[in-house]
Amino acid sequence: MKFSVQNVKNGCRLGLITDLGKNGNKSIETPMCMLYTRGGNAPHLTLDVLKKIQRVPPMAHMYLSSLAEHSEAVTQFKEGIANFCGMQDFAVYCSLHDPATEVPSGYNEKSGTAIWTKGGKYKLDVNHFMQIQEAFQPDICEALYDGDTNKDSTRKRLLKAMDRTLNYLDEIQNKRKSSQKLQKTALFGVIEGGFSVQERQKSAHETVTRNVDGFVLAGFHNNGPKTEMFDLSQVTEICQKTMECLPENKPRLMQNAWRPDKVMEGIALGIDMFDSSYPYIVTERGCGLVFKFNVCASPEEQKGNGDHLLGFQINLADKKYVDDFGPLLEGCTCYACQNFTRSYINHLLNTSELLSSVLLMIHNFHHYFEFFHQIRQSLQDGSFDELNSLIQKQKPVDS
Amino acid sequence: MTSKAHALSLKILAECSTTKARACHMTLPHSIVETPVFMPVGTQGTLKGLLPEQLEELDCKIMLGNTYHLGNRPGPELLEKAGGLHKFMNWNRSLLTDSGGFQMVSLLKLAEITEEGVKFQSPHDGSEMMLTPEKSIEIQNSIGADIIMQLDDVVHSSTTGERLEEAMWRTIRWLDRCIKAHKRPHDQSIFPIVQGGLDPELRKKCAYELIKRDVNGYAIGGLSGGEEKQDFWRMVSLSTDILPDDKPRYLMGVGFAVDLVVCAALGCDMFDCVFPTRTARFGSALVPSGQLNLKSKIFSSDFRPIDDQCKCSTCKNYTRAYLHTIVTNETVACHLLSVHNVAYQLNLMKSVHDSIKEDKFPQFIKAFFIQQFPNKDFPQWAIDALDSVNVKLNDNKSDNGKSSVVLKNKDTDSSNIENSKIS
Repeated sequence: MKFSVQNVKNGCRLGLITDLGKNGNKSIETPMCMLYTRGGNAPHLTLDVLKKIQRVPPMAHMYLSSLAEHSEAVTQFKEGIANFCGMQDFAVYCSLHDPATEVPSGYNEKSGTAIWTKGGKYKLDVNHFMQIQEAFQPDICEALYDGDTNKDSTRKRLLKAMDRTLNYLDEIQNKRKSSQKLQKTALFGVIEGGFSVQERQKSAHETVTRNVDGFVLAGFHNNGPKTEMFDLSQVTEICQKTMECLPENKPRLMQNAWRPDKVMEGIALGIDMFDSSYPYIVTERGCGLVFKFNVCASPEEQKGNGDHLLGFQINLADKKYVDDFGPLLEGCTCYACQNFTRSYINHLLNTSELLSSVLLMIHNFHHYFEFFHQIRQSLQDGSFDELNSLIQKQKPVDS
Repeated sequence: MTSKAHALSLKILAECSTTKARACHMTLPHSIVETPVFMPVGTQGTLKGLLPEQLEELDCKIMLGNTYHLGNRPGPELLEKAGGLHKFMNWNRSLLTDSGGFQMVSLLKLAEITEEGVKFQSPHDGSEMMLTPEKSIEIQNSIGADIIMQLDDVVHSSTTGERLEEAMWRTIRWLDRCIKAHKRPHDQSIFPIVQGGLDPELRKKCAYELIKRDVNGYAIGGLSGGEEKQDFWRMVSLSTDILPDDKPRYLMGVGFAVDLVVCAALGCDMFDCVFPTRTARFGSALVPSGQLNLKSKIFSSDFRPIDDQCKCSTCKNYTRAYLHTIVTNETVACHLLSVHNVAYQLNLMKSVHDSIKEDKFPQFIKAFFIQQFPNKDFPQWAIDALDSVNVKLNDNKSDNGKSSVVLKNKDTDSSNIENSKIS
């Protein structure tokens, strides 16, 4: 895997990942978001339905908490996790935890990290971790880490998390050298240090010396839907100081339920890779994304139907949509908006029909992926600030 | 008559020279349906997580909606505003709705049936409500399905005596009220329902009364409620004997593969059942040899598709081993198995249709039963039912030479101990 930054402006990086995948033939523009998956597939969407969405990211985000239990079968299968899941058209980024599920605190040990699977707590030491990676053969693998820190963590906990994470990384690098199967798998090192600038910088420096292909910023929170409200402004300085320690030519990733306004802030901090757990979380609560990101639209168009003043999403279960025969979002080109009405989605939600999640997921993914496309456009044509103010304007009042 | 011919016309393409089966084209306002046909059930205006387009890709031409559910939510007023159910759910092919009577009796403990209609308590606000034949048709007119059903007086299939006879005669009286109330005969065909429980004489009387009415097709109801299979097939067969050849016959609530094949041989053209999609939610996949319970550990490293002969998108993209990891955990698994199971049902009926046209249906039946029952432990009722239409399942002589007819789906699982039979 290679990465190059094409231009940097006010901290925002426009970049390109190339030579990705087993055949080294995939490339992805950044800032990008990966395709969020559950059990190795897009949530609610079969492959043939997923194909109805334009601009699906070429990289799927899978995580050990939903897949580690099946590593024996994947080992026997021999062709890696992407093929096992029928996702061979996608590059795979494999992380430890699901961004949309909160990780219980207090279960990590010196010898390994706890992930939470369907069957409950699942202990991962480096040996077991590497066995799984050899079976999965992802295109990018996030190193094993202890990220069980947050704003309130003690210094002792920060140091433990940081030291363990670096020790795991050393062991992983050692084993990786001798692994035939992982020669083409890129490795992302994880930077710890919680909310301490000093520890963050130390962790960053140490991780840089260990020759990794990219960096993950973890240890700010414990994942899950609540991270939608995670206040990035409280870690702005920490992130900036951390980024200063990192080489420019390696991508940076942070896992979070990235609300649109936070995406913009994340990009300004120099983050290149995002996940798309946010549209999934929005889908699960019966909502559809309606925020505007078209900076070129005339002021008339931007006014729209007034919905955008209410925030980023609308709740389709709301009574006011019972006889609303318009699309979920006027002007949207997604399959759901082209074929179905708010009224129908409202009915599906009222009757707890599975198709409600299918239609909302189609729309929310489409909208979010288009949003990222627009972000890259704006970094190219210099309209990022305009886009940013358009997004911030739509922020819900209560946050 | 000409206006009704527009709502439904049946063209018999071929009649089996051995059994009572026929292969037809049934032309409805929204599609031409090849029969015998299996109709998947989309209870509340959606088929369990599938997009209408996915059903089109499976070549599904007609599906069901339930009047009782749709009448409650979203309700007839909204459906009328939306321009009918076709438009509301974006399904441009044919629809059939039931009358709502069956759900009344099966779902509502407090339902009371009088000459006027079915009195019941609203499940939402507890208020007393009345579903009359006129009301049922009014709702079905708002839904706008291509085929609608009369309200019938549904009794449990084990009911006998006076109540059964009362229900049969009332069903006929209600039919006349339904026909009178029907406002869209030009684009919606109303089907009467043959009732009479398991009493042959009552069934015959009912069928003879119904065929006096000028309608476009008939249904056989009150069966598939847990009665003895030996009774079941006899009631089906005596009904099809009486119903006219030039109109479609719809056997309600039947959808197990074995039942479909036998009842097609007895002369039924249309079938519906929630079974394929319901069983999908429990992780069960339909295959020529029965069912695979993909939850079972024996599939954890089985890297074959569900059925290597199946052309559905699930079998093209996914292995049993992968499906094993997501069944009953992820909604995608439900959708994937629903796609496959509906594909299985539709392919089965397509094979039945084609074999009737080639006049090879008896050979098809035998090959089908050998796949389902490799040890030839055929259920007695099926042996008897097929014997009544001149197909001898246990006749070895006729097996020789004719067994060259091979089903499209080759059996790959006959040795699989996890396969359960669906009979």
